[in-house]
Amino acid sequence: MVKFSEEQLVEFNRLVARYPEGKQKSALLPVLHLAQDSFGGWLSSETMDYVASLLQIKPIEVYEVATFYSMYNLKPVGKYLFEVCQTGPCMVSGCDDIIDYIKSKLNISVGETTPDGLFTLKTVECLGACGYAPMMQLGKYYREHLTKEKVDAIIAECKAQSN
Amino acid sequence: MGVKLLLEKAHIPGIRTYEVYRREGGYRSVEKALQSMTPEAIVEEVKKSGLRGRGGAGFPAGMKWSFIAKPEGVPRHLVCNADESEPGTFKDRYLMEFLPHLLIEGLIVASFALGSNNTYIYIRGEYAWIVDILETAINEAKANGWLGENILNSGFDCNIHVQRGAGAYICGEETALIESLEGKRGNPRIKPPFPAIKGLWQRPTVVNNVETLAAVVPIINIGGDEYAKIGVGRSTGTKLISACGNINKPGVYEIDMTVSVEEFIYSDEYCGGIANGKRLKACIPGGSSVPILPANLLLKTAKGETRYMNYESLSDGGFATGSMMGSGGFIILDEDQCIVKNTYTLARFYRHESCGQCSPCREGTGWMEKLLLRLEKGEGKMSDIDLLWDIQRKIEGNTICPLGDAAAWPVAAAIRHFRDEFEWHVTHAQEAQTRNFGLAHYADPIHVPVTA
Repeated sequence: MVKFSEEQLVEFNRLVARYPEGKQKSALLPVLHLAQDSFGGWLSSETMDYVASLLQIKPIEVYEVATFYSMYNLKPVGKYLFEVCQTGPCMVSGCDDIIDYIKSKLNISVGETTPDGLFTLKTVECLGACGYAPMMQLGKYYREHLTKEKVDAIIAECKAQSN
Repeated sequence: MGVKLLLEKAHIPGIRTYEVYRREGGYRSVEKALQSMTPEAIVEEVKKSGLRGRGGAGFPAGMKWSFIAKPEGVPRHLVCNADESEPGTFKDRYLMEFLPHLLIEGLIVASFALGSNNTYIYIRGEYAWIVDILETAINEAKANGWLGENILNSGFDCNIHVQRGAGAYICGEETALIESLEGKRGNPRIKPPFPAIKGLWQRPTVVNNVETLAAVVPIINIGGDEYAKIGVGRSTGTKLISACGNINKPGVYEIDMTVSVEEFIYSDEYCGGIANGKRLKACIPGGSSVPILPANLLLKTAKGETRYMNYESLSDGGFATGSMMGSGGFIILDEDQCIVKNTYTLARFYRHESCGQCSPCREGTGWMEKLLLRLEKGEGKMSDIDLLWDIQRKIEGNTICPLGDAAAWPVAAAIRHFRDEFEWHVTHAQEAQTRNFGLAHYADPIHVPVTA
């Protein structure tokens, strides 16, 4: 059963307290981020129902939001999610080569996860790092000015971390 | 060197911390505003400054503030739009990352002017680490008495909260942002009522861009009249430009809007010229949604006059031969870049980001993406080009929010100025897969020596 820990509940209460009485639904986006981070990097329907009960809103209100925003994963993803930008400015700076390189290096297509469950490759639209292209988001941070060598180093770093 | 009002102190070590920021003269505008000015006087000062919204629309900020309704007993809110998502734009990120206290300072003054006791920063979800930077700055400001109750004994209470979005370009549109802040899908609202009357939780609300709110600080410090003297005409003050694409020095630059486009691209103070000794082919000067311009229309207007980096000059010639200042996302394409492919990636972006509420945008963006992909792959027909033109015409102006226009303009401008390149993808389908169309007659007139 999904349930926030004591510590996560403290954070939940901090998020809800930002809004006026009765407007707790406003905390939905941040609470979904918290839930995704807490329960394996994606939102199962069980997780979404739990969030609905915590915020005292209908489950459909959570589904509506979870399916609208691209940062919520509605199916399981690998431990390390590579989100590579492919919009105009990154394209003119050579992101296609980087995406191809990651594909061949990890032997997966866009949207797939490696069999060991470590890596998922996703292409995303503009992340606001156009001057530092090509780039990807990995967890909380951006990895910018990507080259094949940098991609190798990132993959090695993730593998070392997971051991 | 032009005047710098926002980034002047960005390179001082430790400027991100309260101690250094305060030591360098930070929070003086809050002292001045809360101790010696009335909210009305602040609005008046911002009006005098001529400050125009820095998010893209360029609407006069002081005017926007003066529209806020003040019904008795109803709380009002200021919301900072930090949902920076327009391709090519990364200036707000820079401000928040390196000068978080400048934004907080501007927010306190603006909150006082508008009577907002609870102010929200809505930041795009991907800027996850910047949330920590902002919250640290807010806590520091609070600990030093700049936020909380009865700030500087003025009787004014203010708290600032940071809310993360979750990946939706549309939430940069102010009513979609408000919906998202209420915990809903980012579907823009029909206006009127405008947010100034009924915004967040149906309360009077002003939504301003990060850079706009940061600019309030120098306006209060030096006065609206002095601020208005910087720049030219109705392009007052300074503007942050985020430059990217095929240039030697991508990054965020503060300009005083008297710089020519040519100087901005080629001088070492700014972009440092086109990378790898290539030549300039085209430029999208104000974020992906503004019209793309070929080099020959970028550096000089159709009348042969020098084009400058300001609102009026960039839009000189209208959409026929001009473009827009937009958000300041300045994207340069060199001679190796394919206009059809670039337009395709932008069309894909807008299809991905359409909220789906209005049929012309929901259906039209996907249709344009498919046609552009077909042309890009050399499988298109000549009639596809006219069809694209027809679709974009039917999206523009027919949607609740400006995302429809934003999706239509890049396609329209690309066909308007680079039609022969689209045609070449049809007539030379095979060749188009292996070789770029090149410069044709779009080349910049400046002689660039070929590097060895």
